[in-house]
Amino acid sequence: MRDVTIGQYYPARSLVHRADPRFKMVIMILYMVMVFFCESFFSFAFLTVFVIATILLSRVPPLKVLKGLKMILIVLLLTTALMMVFYADADSAPLAEWGIFHIYLSGIYASLKLAWRLLLLVLLPTLLTLTTTPTEICDGIESLLTPLKLIRLPVHELALIMSIALRLIPTLIEETDKIMNAQKSRGAAFESRNPFKKIKAMLPVLIPLFVSSFRRADDLADAMDSRCYRGAKGRTRMKVMRPHAGDFIALLGWCAIFVCILFLKYNWLGWSFIPLLGI
Amino acid sequence: MIDVRQLSYVYSPKTPFAKQALADITMRISDGDFFGIIGGTGAGKSTLVSHFNALTRVQKKSGTVLVDDIDLGAKKVDLKRVRAKVGMVFQYPEHQLFDDTVEKDVRFGPKNLGLSAEEQAERARQAIELVGLDYDEFASRSPFELSGGQKRRVALAGVLAMRPEILVLDEPTAGLDPVGKRDIMELVVRIKETTCPTVVMISHNMDEIATYCNKIAVLGRGRLLGVFDPRALFGTEKALREGSVRLPLVTEIAGKLNAAGVDVDPAILKEDELVQAILKAAENA
Repeated sequence: MRDVTIGQYYPARSLVHRADPRFKMVIMILYMVMVFFCESFFSFAFLTVFVIATILLSRVPPLKVLKGLKMILIVLLLTTALMMVFYADADSAPLAEWGIFHIYLSGIYASLKLAWRLLLLVLLPTLLTLTTTPTEICDGIESLLTPLKLIRLPVHELALIMSIALRLIPTLIEETDKIMNAQKSRGAAFESRNPFKKIKAMLPVLIPLFVSSFRRADDLADAMDSRCYRGAKGRTRMKVMRPHAGDFIALLGWCAIFVCILFLKYNWLGWSFIPLLGI
Repeated sequence: MIDVRQLSYVYSPKTPFAKQALADITMRISDGDFFGIIGGTGAGKSTLVSHFNALTRVQKKSGTVLVDDIDLGAKKVDLKRVRAKVGMVFQYPEHQLFDDTVEKDVRFGPKNLGLSAEEQAERARQAIELVGLDYDEFASRSPFELSGGQKRRVALAGVLAMRPEILVLDEPTAGLDPVGKRDIMELVVRIKETTCPTVVMISHNMDEIATYCNKIAVLGRGRLLGVFDPRALFGTEKALREGSVRLPLVTEIAGKLNAAGVDVDPAILKEDELVQAILKAAENA
């Protein structure tokens, strides 16, 4: 278990890495929304161009980004296949029919769009985790949630919990490793095929792990207390996040893309070239 | 007997993170040895001993380890047999306790060996008594409500209940006060004399190493710098001493007395030896 890496931050020097994590997250939310406003193949292609541009800008090897798709591959194939065979279109004749399954031309289009949408939905968030350290993400979330302090939400404390959890994952893995070795030395076998036996075999690892987590939590609380930690009140930061001109430009750019996509969908001004761009 | 033959070990081989942890180590731990292993952090001490009960498997073309007649470099190793033969006590062993009573926790090892219920109970009783705890008082108590020293004894009992022939200890006295340290070391000596004739001990505490071990292996950056007799190591091997090996307190005192002109042998390892030598020197003077 020693080889497990936490998070998948890929260190590099690029515009995307340097960008303010808050802006990156806001853009992310905006982007997720706009993916759902894409309707025609043209608008998907339009958005994809900018996604590819951002990936190239980040200097993360594109293969690394594509690896993020691995975990949704099965979902993607399954949903696409199901959509393809169960899509029903009353206005046209099916291209092929086989029992309860039937394939329509519009069904093929719809399932391709679904697959494309899923791909887009995963690509950019993957890039976010590749270019932003977990700490930056935590700080960003804390800063973004600041307005919620007005309704007495303990934003700082929530962010602190998140960053402590992230910080302790490697420690827990190391600890699990140690305890497993100790129990293996006493003849424990964790390699059983039977899942129930496997869970039962993990008890001698889980219980010591819980005990030590509580002990560690106590120690950490004492250590924070003895350094006069009093929560968010009057607390300053060592690294203050300051947005740069580039961050605003990027945000405005993505807003412009959003507007384009809205136009492609609703065609408010009745431009005649938009219907020509296809289904 | 543990026979280490040209053992090497690489962490994360064939990646950019590859790190040579052990390089070409050859040494032999004979039956009846109290074998000490010393070296700075990252010297490979823990990696080396984790080979002894096949927790770390010997890598391909990296030598082998023999435990009596068991070849740990073979493709298939009878893990149960190795782990029953070589008892491993890790640093802070009390962190591995998990069951709701001391007795059940100590029975965990024998149970995994597939022994009968009577045999498990018998072994647990003997192991608990052996580590100096009263069976009737402690057997049914929760291990989590004991004191630190008692917890460590219970953990040790959990390993001893497997009836190992070789006991491997990784810093058995870490984190204990001086009295607790001495108690545990005396316990180890008693175990060695009664049930488990061979003991291997990793330690940073040179006083313990010098007092109890009859052979000492010195590791440095994954290499074996040599296996020494303690008197030779702390008395004459000046070159090594200038490296990472510190002197035991009594040896240091003896050396300083000797340098100041007092007639004391500088290669003294134990407290009572030093006391005797000083008394003798005073008589002569």
